[in-house]
Amino acid sequence: MIPTGSIDVLVFGHHLLPPSWLHSTGYDVLMIFVAINTVMYAALSVAKVLPALHPTEWFTRRRRSETRSIYPDGSSDQQE
Amino acid sequence: MRFQRLIGLVIMGVTGLAALLLWIGVSATDTSHQRVHHGVLFGVWRVFYDTAAPPWPQLFIAVGVALLLALSVAVLERRIATRYRRSENVDVTPLSPKVVMAATRGVFHGEVTVTVLVPAHNEEASLGATLTSLWEQSVAPTRIVVVADNCTDRTVEVAHAHGAEVFESVENTHKKGGALNQALRWLLPGQGENDTVMVMDADTALDPGFLEAAVRRLTHDRALMAVGGLFYGEPGHGLIGQFQRNEYVRYGREIRRRRGRVFVLTGTASIFRPRALRTVAAARGSIIPGVQGDVYDTAALTEDNELTIALKSLGALMISPDECTVVTELMPSWRTLWNQRLRWQRGALENVGAYGITPQTSRYWAQQLGLGYGVFALTSYFVLILLMLLATDAWIWFPFWIGLGLVFMVERVVTVWRGGWKARLLAMTIFPELFFDFFLDLVFVKGVIDISLGRQAAWKHIEHTSSGVLEEAEP
Repeated sequence: MIPTGSIDVLVFGHHLLPPSWLHSTGYDVLMIFVAINTVMYAALSVAKVLPALHPTEWFTRRRRSETRSIYPDGSSDQQE
Repeated sequence: MRFQRLIGLVIMGVTGLAALLLWIGVSATDTSHQRVHHGVLFGVWRVFYDTAAPPWPQLFIAVGVALLLALSVAVLERRIATRYRRSENVDVTPLSPKVVMAATRGVFHGEVTVTVLVPAHNEEASLGATLTSLWEQSVAPTRIVVVADNCTDRTVEVAHAHGAEVFESVENTHKKGGALNQALRWLLPGQGENDTVMVMDADTALDPGFLEAAVRRLTHDRALMAVGGLFYGEPGHGLIGQFQRNEYVRYGREIRRRRGRVFVLTGTASIFRPRALRTVAAARGSIIPGVQGDVYDTAALTEDNELTIALKSLGALMISPDECTVVTELMPSWRTLWNQRLRWQRGALENVGAYGITPQTSRYWAQQLGLGYGVFALTSYFVLILLMLLATDAWIWFPFWIGLGLVFMVERVVTVWRGGWKARLLAMTIFPELFFDFFLDLVFVKGVIDISLGRQAAWKHIEHTSSGVLEEAEP
């Protein structure tokens, strides 16, 4: 769409739907419905950008009670 | 409780209900606000802006609900994984670490070896590069067996020329899964505890350190039942290729953030301990769906996803390490991409439906519910924009929406950062990827409709010709 008209008002030549639609309750409900959904997705987006937290690893011990190596003497454990 | 054909309607029904409840909730509140204002920028430029935004309490609730849902899914998945890990019940979780450790304690079963099975249906063009990437691994496989399934081209000769053994399927009508079942029935009886089996697509190339990293992990942890590859897209194919590459970069990032906890053991390249495959075959028809004796469930459209759920259901420990990366082919056209995704989406839904609501499928249910709700959310978003564009006669700025757009832009760019500048550039523009998401939403809806109507699913196969042209054919 190419804006027409003077520099101070970017006006589109024609509109296909009556502008009064934008002042209806239905449109307002749709807008808030979409806004709430979008905010929910935005919150998830922020969570995705931030470093992942693994709180269970803060408290669990890292030493195993027995070797899980394929070698019964656990000789591959030192390489970990 | 299993769902079969109802699965799609269940997902859409639940998510539709959630959307409807939100809609009713919004309708019940006062939505009136002061409309468009105008101001002057730089002394000459008059701009219209609309400060409309939902009331703060609603926004806080929305943020809270979203984060709570995400947290619940993560915590639930973690708790279930821990429960299975600690299980000592041989009958219900025969692959759980404690059971496997008890069965293998104190005995050295030999070094870890890797036998690679490469299922191939007319793959003469790409097979050579695949086999070369295998032999060039820093730790080479012990054996490579090409599973030639109803081939009419030179697949068998190419396999021999590249030093691979060939297993030819006999009267197989169940495509890849059926061919692999035959090969595994022949191979598995001779495999020792640590003689692992890798299944790898003929159109995939492993990165050099893949096998070394996998063997190291399988050596350190005898309870580890499978190692899955992290795939990323090959170069090329223009914009449609970039969309897919971005998707794969994001998927890889998610898996790394999950510390390699597997979501799907990809069919493109995954390694299994024989115990895992034998146990799945024995459990089919009783604990898990399928035909007893089959490793792969040939009724599943996405046999790798199904096998992952099967292994998880039996308590198996598995990982997709950062070092185990593979390059996979991309779909070159919208038509081939549509067919690939329809098969994946439908397969994923059918797998979830076949297993029903179980602890180990809850994460997959959450994913499907998320996808279902996404259809409503994105469609309503596009409807809103369309209405606004068609009914407005002036360009109006919405600070609230611009703010949200910036948040998405940051997320889109950060999550594909590893993909390079082309990936970041595409992500920064936001809308093309939104349309791509909408394309995937349409695939989702088509999958739901097809399942609900009981339509036969087509398993399209991409033929590689020696000229490098990809053609779609019914196998």
